Amino acid sequence: MCLPIYARGEARSHFLRIKLVYSEKSMRQGQADRLRAQDRRRFEEIFLPYLDAAFNLARWIVQHDQDARDVVQDAYVRAFKGFHRFRGENPRAWFLTITRNTAYNWLKRYEAEEKLVRYDEAKHADIILMKEPDDALVSEERKERLQKVLERLPLEFREVIVLYELEGLSYKEVAAMLGIPIGTVMSRLSRARQRLREGSHYGT
Amino acid sequence: MDCNEIERLLDAYVDGELELTRQLDMEAHLAACLTCKKAAEAANNFRFSVRMNTRFYKAPPGLKTTIRAALRKESGSQLGWVSRFWRPLACTAGILVLGLSFAWAWIADAHHKDRELIAEAISDHTRSLLANHLLDITSSDQHTVKPWVTGKLDYTPPVADLADVGYKLLGGRIDLLENRPVAAIVYQYQGHFINVFVWPAASHAIDFDVQSQQGYSLCGWNKASLNYLIISELSPADMEKFEDQLRDRTE
Repeated sequence: MCLPIYARGEARSHFLRIKLVYSEKSMRQGQADRLRAQDRRRFEEIFLPYLDAAFNLARWIVQHDQDARDVVQDAYVRAFKGFHRFRGENPRAWFLTITRNTAYNWLKRYEAEEKLVRYDEAKHADIILMKEPDDALVSEERKERLQKVLERLPLEFREVIVLYELEGLSYKEVAAMLGIPIGTVMSRLSRARQRLREGSHYGT
Repeated sequence: MDCNEIERLLDAYVDGELELTRQLDMEAHLAACLTCKKAAEAANNFRFSVRMNTRFYKAPPGLKTTIRAALRKESGSQLGWVSRFWRPLACTAGILVLGLSFAWAWIADAHHKDRELIAEAISDHTRSLLANHLLDITSSDQHTVKPWVTGKLDYTPPVADLADVGYKLLGGRIDLLENRPVAAIVYQYQGHFINVFVWPAASHAIDFDVQSQQGYSLCGWNKASLNYLIISELSPADMEKFEDQLRDRTE
């Protein structure tokens, strides 16, 4: 960069040579840092718009606000580290895949704690108490019911509903993200809806 | 297609995810079979109901800021250069050589053009703080400032309204950078003035993180072929916040 030309070609003393080697290395490092300022801004411009989408997905997977925050933050850092692997196609699906993986890792790590602390409460009890819907069922009540049933669906069903209905991904995108065939997405989504329907007594 | 087959494909049908030939077969069957038609309607209603009645969790306020801070740390912004530099170098080199190269690299670090530009911006900023030099147009209304500035230049600088996040728009003026007239948009935050220089990045697109120079904090970036350089006496951390807000509000 700012090195005089003669100094680059032939170092004139041993001392200078050492100094040159290291300073060039440091300067490359400095250059890399500056490039990364640029990368960071580009990264933010591409991926920060998916913050809500990522939080929603993480929140539905880990089912806890603070944990979802941590997952999403972690997902952004991971995605940034792997930014050079991003090929510019479908940034949303790319980032949501990372978010999902991060959330799964989180679940794995905290599974024991999850079972102990968060799952044993009355959370599962009130599903039995839910009444059959009245004709004049207000949408607030329906909302609550569907919400609760979805919260209790097993993760593999819950996530296809969230990815397809809430995140608006296509079958193809869901298939790519989950690493399963499109036909499996179709049947899994179908079964998830079936369970959701039964659980919420919809249309009975 | 028989009714069993239809039932299996019903969800994909209401989702509009079937391939065209199947979709058409399906429609033909539904036109003829009342039971299946009702099932399709129910499936469709249910799908709508799920979308309407389950929560989309929006990211809590503040998470964006936390993430940006984490990314800054990760990208080794110059505020955090010590920790990034020390670890790898300390392992590989002798301390003497390291010290020397370090000092040297630090001096040689900033890009030459950037350095000239920064020096210019600092002198512009300092001069702008002298009496009656800050503003050519005084208005807190972006719709007043923008046309005024645009009328004096050959490009249109965006003027963001940041009042809701605490940065008061004071107005603007025309200044000089890289030997050309540029827009300087002026904000005030906690008694400090912030100069935002905006100009087309014809030959030299800038991009550097917040740094401190001569008691000023400044940083620059490039967006939509415009260069942005912001400078003020705010702390570097406050300057990062301002940078984030401004980048969010300029398209």
